[in-house]
Amino acid sequence: MKKTITLTVNGEARTLDVEPSDTLLEVLREKLGIKSPKVGCERGDCGSCTVLLDGATVRSCLVLAIEADGHEVTTVEGLSADGPTELQRAFVEHNSFQCGFCAPGVVLSATELLRKNPHPTEDEVKEAISGNLCRCTGYEPIVDAVLDVGGAKRGGRDDG
Amino acid sequence: MTIALEFDYAKPESLDAALRLLTEHRGRAAVLAGGTDLVCWLRDETITPELLIDLKGIPELRELDVDGGTASIGALVTFSDLVASEAVRTALPILWEASRTVACVGIRNRATVVGNICSAVPSCNAGPALLVCEAAVTVLGAEGERRIPIAEWFTGPKSTALGDGEIVTGIVVPVPEGRHGDAYVKLGRYRGEDLAQAVVAVLALPENRYRVAFGAVGPTPSRAPGIESVLAGKPLDETLIAEARGLVRNETAPISDIRASREYRAHMLPIMLERGLRAAAARRDGGGPAYGTALIEEAP
Amino acid sequence: MADFKFVGKPATRIDGLPKVMGAATFVDDIDFGPDLLHAVIVESPHAHALIKGIDTSEAERVPGVVKVVTGKDVPYRFGLYMKDRYILALDRVRFVGEQVAAVIARDLKTALRAAKLVEVSYEPLPPLFDPLDAVREDCCLLHPDLCECERVPWFFPEADTNVAHRRKTRKGDVEKGFEEADIVLEDTYTVPRYAHCAIEPHVVVGLFDHSDRLTLWSASQSPHTQRNVFAESLAPLGLSHQDIRVVTPYVGGGFGGKAGVTMEIIGAALATTVKGHPVKLRWTREQEFRNTYQRQAVVAKLKIGAKRDGTLTAIEHMLYWDAGAYVEYGANVVNAVGLSATGAYRIPNVKIDSLCIYTNLPPGGPYRGFGYSEFHFGLESHMTRIAKELGIDPVEFRRKNAIQEGDTLAYGALMNPSGLTEAIDRAAEAIEWGKKAAPSKPGRVTGKGFSLMWKAPAMPPNAGSAAFLKFSEDGSVNVMVSGMEIGQGYLTVMAQIAAEVLTVPPERIRVETPDTDRNPYEWQTVGSHVTWGCGNAVREAALEARDRMFDVVHRAHGFETETLYLEDEKVKCRTKSDFELALRDFVITGIAMEDGTFRGGPIMGSGAFMPEFTSALSDPETSQGGHPNVHYTVGAAGIVLEIDPATGRVEVVKAALAVDVGQAINPDLVNGQITGGMLQGLATVLYEDMRYDSDGRLLNPNFTDYKIPTAMDVPREMIPIIVEVPQPDGPFGARGVGEHTMIPAAPMVANAVADALGVRITSMPLTAEKIALAVKAKP
Repeated sequence: MKKTITLTVNGEARTLDVEPSDTLLEVLREKLGIKSPKVGCERGDCGSCTVLLDGATVRSCLVLAIEADGHEVTTVEGLSADGPTELQRAFVEHNSFQCGFCAPGVVLSATELLRKNPHPTEDEVKEAISGNLCRCTGYEPIVDAVLDVGGAKRGGRDDG
Repeated sequence: MTIALEFDYAKPESLDAALRLLTEHRGRAAVLAGGTDLVCWLRDETITPELLIDLKGIPELRELDVDGGTASIGALVTFSDLVASEAVRTALPILWEASRTVACVGIRNRATVVGNICSAVPSCNAGPALLVCEAAVTVLGAEGERRIPIAEWFTGPKSTALGDGEIVTGIVVPVPEGRHGDAYVKLGRYRGEDLAQAVVAVLALPENRYRVAFGAVGPTPSRAPGIESVLAGKPLDETLIAEARGLVRNETAPISDIRASREYRAHMLPIMLERGLRAAAARRDGGGPAYGTALIEEAP
Repeated sequence: MADFKFVGKPATRIDGLPKVMGAATFVDDIDFGPDLLHAVIVESPHAHALIKGIDTSEAERVPGVVKVVTGKDVPYRFGLYMKDRYILALDRVRFVGEQVAAVIARDLKTALRAAKLVEVSYEPLPPLFDPLDAVREDCCLLHPDLCECERVPWFFPEADTNVAHRRKTRKGDVEKGFEEADIVLEDTYTVPRYAHCAIEPHVVVGLFDHSDRLTLWSASQSPHTQRNVFAESLAPLGLSHQDIRVVTPYVGGGFGGKAGVTMEIIGAALATTVKGHPVKLRWTREQEFRNTYQRQAVVAKLKIGAKRDGTLTAIEHMLYWDAGAYVEYGANVVNAVGLSATGAYRIPNVKIDSLCIYTNLPPGGPYRGFGYSEFHFGLESHMTRIAKELGIDPVEFRRKNAIQEGDTLAYGALMNPSGLTEAIDRAAEAIEWGKKAAPSKPGRVTGKGFSLMWKAPAMPPNAGSAAFLKFSEDGSVNVMVSGMEIGQGYLTVMAQIAAEVLTVPPERIRVETPDTDRNPYEWQTVGSHVTWGCGNAVREAALEARDRMFDVVHRAHGFETETLYLEDEKVKCRTKSDFELALRDFVITGIAMEDGTFRGGPIMGSGAFMPEFTSALSDPETSQGGHPNVHYTVGAAGIVLEIDPATGRVEVVKAALAVDVGQAINPDLVNGQITGGMLQGLATVLYEDMRYDSDGRLLNPNFTDYKIPTAMDVPREMIPIIVEVPQPDGPFGARGVGEHTMIPAAPMVANAVADALGVRITSMPLTAEKIALAVKAKP
């Protein structure tokens, strides 16, 4: 039961055929070759499949591709098209990521936060990324980078 | 794993069209809103519909309206919509707090409060909050619209009063009259997202009337009439709180599961009730911890 | 402390940008074209059963199915230290989730549907889940042919039992030691299984092409070891190392779970059944929980004696490991612990028995800490208890008994240089040990806990590393190594080491992920050893390249090589201060002579490192006489907890961890290991709780019910402390760190809970529920 859908992906209109049971994650990765959203758990628990759907973070493993018909999807590749954003540069400077598998999801969650709330507190940052599981870093350097972009510093720790 | 199930998909543009599809495919269709539960069920093949009816093409279901004495929450209103609504936060802080405890931002951006009560798992976040607000569920069927009081909505674990061929169009929540204070206390295994192991919702109304509801400690979320009647009209003091705590075991039926033992739930419920009562009463009276504070971490 | 230009500096990770831009490629991201096939595994629902028959006929008939493979088609054993495992179960299954058959189809959905049609008939056998049950006289044997398994010579299986290996360490005379003691404390500590939960699931793609070349792309910590295991296992097909190539891109977290070989052998074997087509096997999150290595559970019986003045006199440590259905890797965890389960202490009389016991649960294997986290829980809890009983401050007790350089280890070799005392002092200071913390919220109580930690890499005595190094025309450098970037920053560290020798800054050095055809050997990226082992190889390669450069300059310009040095990417001369030759000007093209000829050519270097002083041979009854461990990395950690006694909920106010890394090549990355490792360790003691039902089925194979920390669960303050007492045989004095930071978490929490509430909990995890109910039960 293939259906033809058209969605805007990273600014470009894409028309393609999908099965109703194809998830947005599968379609992005396998049909459109966009690899930054990852397969981590396929239950919406880990956040590594996070994309922006009409500007809001969603778990693309829990969205059927057909639901995205007529909508806008942005992934990290779309954010990065003109070079790293200020947030991405902060992540690099702070050595925020280790294995990097959670990074695209975290980047999008933090991007969504900063767009809504340009000067978040430490607790607000932690809440915003609490749906992105990271096993490597202990989260601190990630939080540091986001706070840095917002012009703040994490409390309760000496520098260096 | 990928979804191996095969099914068709429709996106009707009106409620009538949606109802027609539902009737046509009676018993073999599933209604899709946010999908955060449904897509998992499709993957696990807990449900095996032939047709998914996506409601997201019906604009009036998106309406969120807080107007004087009533909040109308359409079937497509997400938990993020509720969290972002200043009107909801001021008029119905219990619902605002309950919404904030759902999973995480990425889930809240899609998950709908109507979907939450339709999935009707015993730990559903919205249940206890809607119960203390004495909300009503608006349902549309072939015979027209009806309102089901929330007290009659949950009929068992994952089971509701929704009839065959009916669609929930929204929830109507009366805004409590007069000064009120709310408290939503959720027990999770840590501060991060978790399905509730126990929920206590308290609404403190004028003249020391209280509404109390429990979640995740019985087959459905439920009110606590015994506790409410003991509290009614009396100022909240140590003795009264102790009495209320003592009644918890009569009005809840926690079980042991992978998330918590019955013993721990039974141990925590009176503590959560006390914290909820104190916070709700204090908030009603102009003080208390800020809404959004995790009362599970805060001893009074 | 020597002043380096690049070593010791918090250089920006060289893989930082690709990872935040979405440009970093993991195995599942690689496209293999429209001919890619997909495999789905049929798993055993039984913990222990004979396979009576497998009917694949219906599955084979599904359109789009290319092949269905069972154990009979690929009846080969595999294993790292012991070959006790089949690629697909042959006649018997030994854990719920064990792979029994594989369906290969044109697309994943078809494979999934067809897999449901494979019919397997089983004859269930009585399962064993408790290691203490599995060592009883009369119980069922899980591996009757245990002693026939090919294995390394330092493993000692016990015939006609479920004991796959027993490591015995005996030093001095424990009976005498206990007699000399003024107090003897005995207790049993229980640690359950844990899951790695790397966010990237295991995945492999295999292609056996029409020239009989087998290539694997896998998410692995060990491409060369994988190739070796594949070659040994698939030798009956006529394949050897030359025919097999393993390509490993970035790995989305390993933590030991992607060491050795687990599901990748299935990919390799399946590829040989569909010649000419690439086939992908990717684990679901449920399979990640069920059918990859798990951290083994252990029941540890501990007896320690001490004199009134706090001097330790004797330790008897009996460890019963639930090692799972196959112990090909996990037996080495048991072995490593058997040699080191004294902890970082000087104890003259030692008796350790570490038993590797088969059970009908998923295979145990390497997990960050390699058995040390598991035994430290009991050992460090016990040390605090003894100190308290003697009325001695637990930190002071540890200072007194801390192992020092030159002390005799349990197996007779000598302890390496280490800053253990400095680590103790600095960790204690960081948490203001000795001062009672005031709770920050009403109703809470506070407690402080302390723990030492140590660990040595557990490797075969001949684990080797190698490196190639070459230049490009722009003077940039490529370092080719086969260590793996699993997040720890290994690529950056190798670049910094090369940078220090060559004076080319790390940002102009590429260190890429390996390919066994093009990159020289690395045993495995495990054991926290690659900074040391591979770092030595890289340094040697850089020195060789430097020597070649100096030789060319000498031949072209006449300067003596001893007068030459490198600075700012140029060759300079101490005796001719105006001479400078930029590397880019000659490292490919050579140096032009006046007569139009050139000297030199492409400059390259190679290096290799393998310790030549380690030996696994020792007395099997006492473990004396060998030198199984290259060196120990040591440290100390302290924690401040706030607990709500009514709810049992714990908040970590402060966690400090000091580790002696010899020389931090990149302090930022060391800090990353400390914060990441500490949080992972805290998660095992506070939240993670693996539960099996009575049929051996895992009840929580998902993140919904196996809770790993989110950003909201981070301690209020984590204090990383770097101690640097150089490792003499390490590159620039460096010693490895990576696993160590998890190790002290559990015992220091248990000690802090005891301090706060007067409640001693001797089993993990210490969840809020367990703490609240323990407080309630206190008389």
